[in-house]
Amino acid sequence: MSPNMQEERISRHDSAGHATPGRTDFLSVRDFDFYYGRKQALFGITMDIPEKQVTAFIGPSGCGKSTLLRNFNRMNELIDGIRHEGDIQLLGQSIYDRGVEVIALRRSIGIVFQKSNPFPKSIYENIVYGLRISGERNRSVLDEAVERSLRGAALWEEAKDRLHESALGLSGGQMQRLCIARAIANRPKVLLMDEPCSALDPIATVKVEELIHELKREFTIVIVTHNMQQATRCSDRTAFFYLGKLIEYDTTQKIFSNPAQKQTEDYITGRFG
Amino acid sequence: MTSEPSRHILSDFDSTLEALRKNVLMMASLTIRNLENARKGLFERDEDWCNTVIADDEEIDALEIEVDREGIETILRFHPFASDLRNVLAAMKMSVNLERVADQAVGIARRARKLNTYGLLPETAEIEPLFRHAESMVVDAVKAYADQNIELSRTLKPRDRELDAMNRDFANKITELMPKHPAQIHGYLELIFIARFLERIGDQATNIAEDTVFAVAAEDIRHLQSRQ
Repeated sequence: MSPNMQEERISRHDSAGHATPGRTDFLSVRDFDFYYGRKQALFGITMDIPEKQVTAFIGPSGCGKSTLLRNFNRMNELIDGIRHEGDIQLLGQSIYDRGVEVIALRRSIGIVFQKSNPFPKSIYENIVYGLRISGERNRSVLDEAVERSLRGAALWEEAKDRLHESALGLSGGQMQRLCIARAIANRPKVLLMDEPCSALDPIATVKVEELIHELKREFTIVIVTHNMQQATRCSDRTAFFYLGKLIEYDTTQKIFSNPAQKQTEDYITGRFG
Repeated sequence: MTSEPSRHILSDFDSTLEALRKNVLMMASLTIRNLENARKGLFERDEDWCNTVIADDEEIDALEIEVDREGIETILRFHPFASDLRNVLAAMKMSVNLERVADQAVGIARRARKLNTYGLLPETAEIEPLFRHAESMVVDAVKAYADQNIELSRTLKPRDRELDAMNRDFANKITELMPKHPAQIHGYLELIFIARFLERIGDQATNIAEDTVFAVAAEDIRHLQSRQ
């Protein structure tokens, strides 16, 4: 455990659903550099992501926000030639420790992508896939996980009578909520979302945003978004990235009402990007 | 952040914000002119100036509606953030305060018109310092908004306290005169009403200045004494 591990506090939410402080360094990044071959994509990133809050990453295309996101569950290691310096810690433990098993890490830090990617299987089998490959065979456990996850993803009522039908028959918005359900079936500590709504219509988008609002009661969420209105609606904290550097990181209210950095102000007011 | 902002990538956003600002400054210009005309109507005992103030108020009212419409449209179309949002809100609030100043000017003009039907009251001249003070507050509040000058904006609150004191002193003096000169009571009452309009004008100028500080520096300086 990190010698700087803070005392854990129980996360609470006020009546409006806003997170009140839990652990402030639930996921922490320390002097993190990242390289695709010789090209450096991230420069000295240092930040703490708080527990059971939504943190949004914003910035122009190519700024490194998705690169950083995918480092949280070491997905970038699927790419040849990458390397990093610095550290990323989950609950004070480095995700790069020798004892960390990457598959288990990826169950603990789930991810949802821009383009929903349900498996060509039934809705039921999509949800239980992760549980099955980790050895779970008990039918009642699997059934419970399916209902819990689909309810958690606000998809149960729409899907409960068609659990054994193909997931590919769902609408785009339903598929994305299925992917969220699949991610939370493993009871992750963190949920990463890489532009989860950019392929969805406005109604599907608000349903996912409402879901995010509910999910943060239970999960720590990091969301990459190009939609600044979405960042203001959904997130508690916002980090602005530019050319691989973290320019400013603060409460969403501060970032969007009175940012400290001119670059941040110029970006969010549409003066560059 | 007070550095000069660069242009928006969306040029329509810039032109919309500029149009909103121009309308607010036009409204301010007409309001200041109306206040000046009300002063002339009062101290020159000229009914034509009083009538001009009353007639010209319609144009200011129309501009208030236009600024509100433009402000809402800007928010709907462009979802402004940070300084853009603060500036749009400040413009909309400023138009409300300017419209109220213009209404006070109309109130002064109506009272002046009535006062002019009575004989010349020497005490009328004693309200001129209050008038000049209130007028200069409006002029400076508008100038501070136009120049984004928060230092000038910050001077308005203490000046408003001075105006309040001047109004109190004036009202007390006139009140003492009433039993001594009962035939002048109607005229004295008009003067007291006019002084009260001027005191409200000071309040509205202060509001404009506070909104400018918020727009430029994201600092809320309203009701500082009661918050402390």
